Amino acid sequence: MVINQIQLKDIIISARQESHRMRHYYLGVEHLFIALLEIRGGLTSNILSDQGLSSEYVIDAIRRKIGKGSSKHRLWPNLQETPRSDMVMSIAQDIASSHGRKNIQERDLLIAILEEDDNIPIRVLRALDIDMDKLQQQSRTKQAILPQTHSFIQLDFPSDFEGELDPDQLSILRRMFHGYSKVRIEAQLTGGYSGSILLVVTPFELDKRKAALVVKIGPADMILDEAKRYERYVKGTLPPLTARLEDRPTAPDTSELAGLKYTFLGNNSGNPTNMRGIVHQWSGVKIGHWLNEHLYSDFGENWWRQNRSFRFEAWLEYDWLLPPILTLELEQNENLLENANIIKFPLRRKRINKLDYGDVVVIDNFVVQKVDKEKKRIRLALGQGSEAARPYQIEIRGIDFEQDTYYRGEIVENIGGTVFKTRDEQLMMAARALEPDFDISSDRISILNKSMPNPIKWYHNILDMPVDGTLSTIHGDLHLGNILIGPSDSALLIDFALTRDGHTIFDWANLEMSIISETIVPQVPDSWDGARLLINHLVALNNPGRTLSGAPELREALQAIVALRGIASQCLAHKNRWTEYHISLSMCALRAMQWHTMTLASRRVMFLLSALSMFEIQNKPSREINENTPSPDPESTEFDQ
Amino acid sequence: MSIKPITLMYMSGVEDGTTIDLNPKTDGSIRDADWILSIGRKDDNDICLRNDTFVSRYHARLLWRDGKWWLEDIHSTNGSFTEDEMDTFHEIRFEGTIPVECGQLFRLGRTWLRIQPDNY
Repeated sequence: MVINQIQLKDIIISARQESHRMRHYYLGVEHLFIALLEIRGGLTSNILSDQGLSSEYVIDAIRRKIGKGSSKHRLWPNLQETPRSDMVMSIAQDIASSHGRKNIQERDLLIAILEEDDNIPIRVLRALDIDMDKLQQQSRTKQAILPQTHSFIQLDFPSDFEGELDPDQLSILRRMFHGYSKVRIEAQLTGGYSGSILLVVTPFELDKRKAALVVKIGPADMILDEAKRYERYVKGTLPPLTARLEDRPTAPDTSELAGLKYTFLGNNSGNPTNMRGIVHQWSGVKIGHWLNEHLYSDFGENWWRQNRSFRFEAWLEYDWLLPPILTLELEQNENLLENANIIKFPLRRKRINKLDYGDVVVIDNFVVQKVDKEKKRIRLALGQGSEAARPYQIEIRGIDFEQDTYYRGEIVENIGGTVFKTRDEQLMMAARALEPDFDISSDRISILNKSMPNPIKWYHNILDMPVDGTLSTIHGDLHLGNILIGPSDSALLIDFALTRDGHTIFDWANLEMSIISETIVPQVPDSWDGARLLINHLVALNNPGRTLSGAPELREALQAIVALRGIASQCLAHKNRWTEYHISLSMCALRAMQWHTMTLASRRVMFLLSALSMFEIQNKPSREINENTPSPDPESTEFDQ
Repeated sequence: MSIKPITLMYMSGVEDGTTIDLNPKTDGSIRDADWILSIGRKDDNDICLRNDTFVSRYHARLLWRDGKWWLEDIHSTNGSFTEDEMDTFHEIRFEGTIPVECGQLFRLGRTWLRIQPDNY
């Protein structure tokens, strides 16, 4: 039986449904094309999958480009075809006739849409960097394949393999290595974004061993975004010896997951390891040396040393690190929404902070960032396009996806809800989980006789601060799990899901978090007293010239941070003005305080580190404004022991 | 410089693919050497986008000035946009007047339009 015999009638029904979902009430080429993509295992989804794009992803991109129609008006009674759809249909009819057929088939319609060449789906495919020539050619020649027909590939796991792959992940892995005889899984790399896994694998072609590579498997939209960011920000900026994305991602339309391959040029000697796994065997001095000599020197020129002047208010780059500013329960009762608080740009945060459980709000013109059909939630934020740092996230729960369609990138005209949880409540809960031995609700906390701001209270002040910084291409998620050590100790970065043009310092503050958590925290006792003791030693880092204190092992481990601060100092907009760094560090630490993947001891240190950075911000401005006074500021951090 | 007739094409929406022919002799107004075409949702515009509720009653103007086409947003509610060359999904809202090339897409409300290139 030939499966490629979808009737035009069925395609039109599905196109009409799409039009209805989007409140368009006309039948455009975009609806026809989406209907083609929705045919599971169909020709259209198949040839796009060959170029590394899932149907879902392309459908959302098209929806984003057109936008949803207004909910208020319906201007014409019948679903009429647009002149362009008419044109496409007549081309498709010609193609069918030239093959002696009366009925238009999937392939005819696809070829017609490609031939017309001026319609929205084609414009979107071009924007997604699709190879149009290949698409044209495949639309004529490719036979639809049943998704289960790919050949069997043997997967070998080492006896000490600790991870566990679910069937969906295994199936992606098999598809990624289609054509190979065997794939040996060497190790699972720790760390990284929780929704995805990183594996070191060695593929075999007829028993011939190929070079090891790193595979990432995760939610399809994240993986495809990462591939796009790689094309845009990373590809042209890499040092000669490093990880690259050579192939298009593998994104079958039968799965919610997709996979990426990071290959390593010129590496045949052993498997890459990530720093998180190796860092415990290295001394602080060695880590510091490596950061300077490999990471910073290899990537610096095209990334962190771009040093374009960048002045912004802190919320623009840092608000997104915090929990959603509001979590709402969807509310559709028009009467209730009439007197609601309206949230729109420019945002008045003070008013939002006053909102309480049960208050009714309407959100105007926010952009959908995330759609979670399983948990019936969407996440909105300000700002569209490719920036990753989207401020003012708002989560809405209780969405009925049977009734309403939402897609990533959609600008939602307005949507109402009642307040379910505020940001302050979420931060308070996270702080309580640290089992504080002090009053967590007071405005200030005491660390070894020094009064410091309580970070979950004081962060509001940071968000409003103007930052005089620099803009560069940044990794966006630089931590030890994303840095691999290659041959001759070369630096290999992976995971470009958040790579963007952003505040240069952010990468280094983020990496500092990661190093402190992995190598410094284990040097002190797990208790709050241990955390406070560590903070007392970290103070010296903020005061150049002060000697490091503590046990020899701790002092040695801290050398990694000393070196990192040395790199950060080269990325500051103004020499020795560290407020820029402390703003970043305080927000990174406040975020890390909530991470359940971190140990309790680390999260406690993060909380206090955030307080310490805020304390430095509070006490440093006078010295930083008047740079010509190198003498120690009487207000600078001095601890009485 | 003589003013030539132009053709506009709808690039989205219910009228996607429709063309509008405009002639300086019969459409819009001439002021000094400028040809001015008004665009909006109301019928008395030279180019009437009646099917897009995101378009203001008087939304924008197309101007032929100094041998070039310009697009002016006249304080529309939902804005006028061009595409970001680096990132097609990032649309840039502009205020005031910007130059537009023939063949370049711009969006008023939700409607994408373009001036057809000469050889069409």
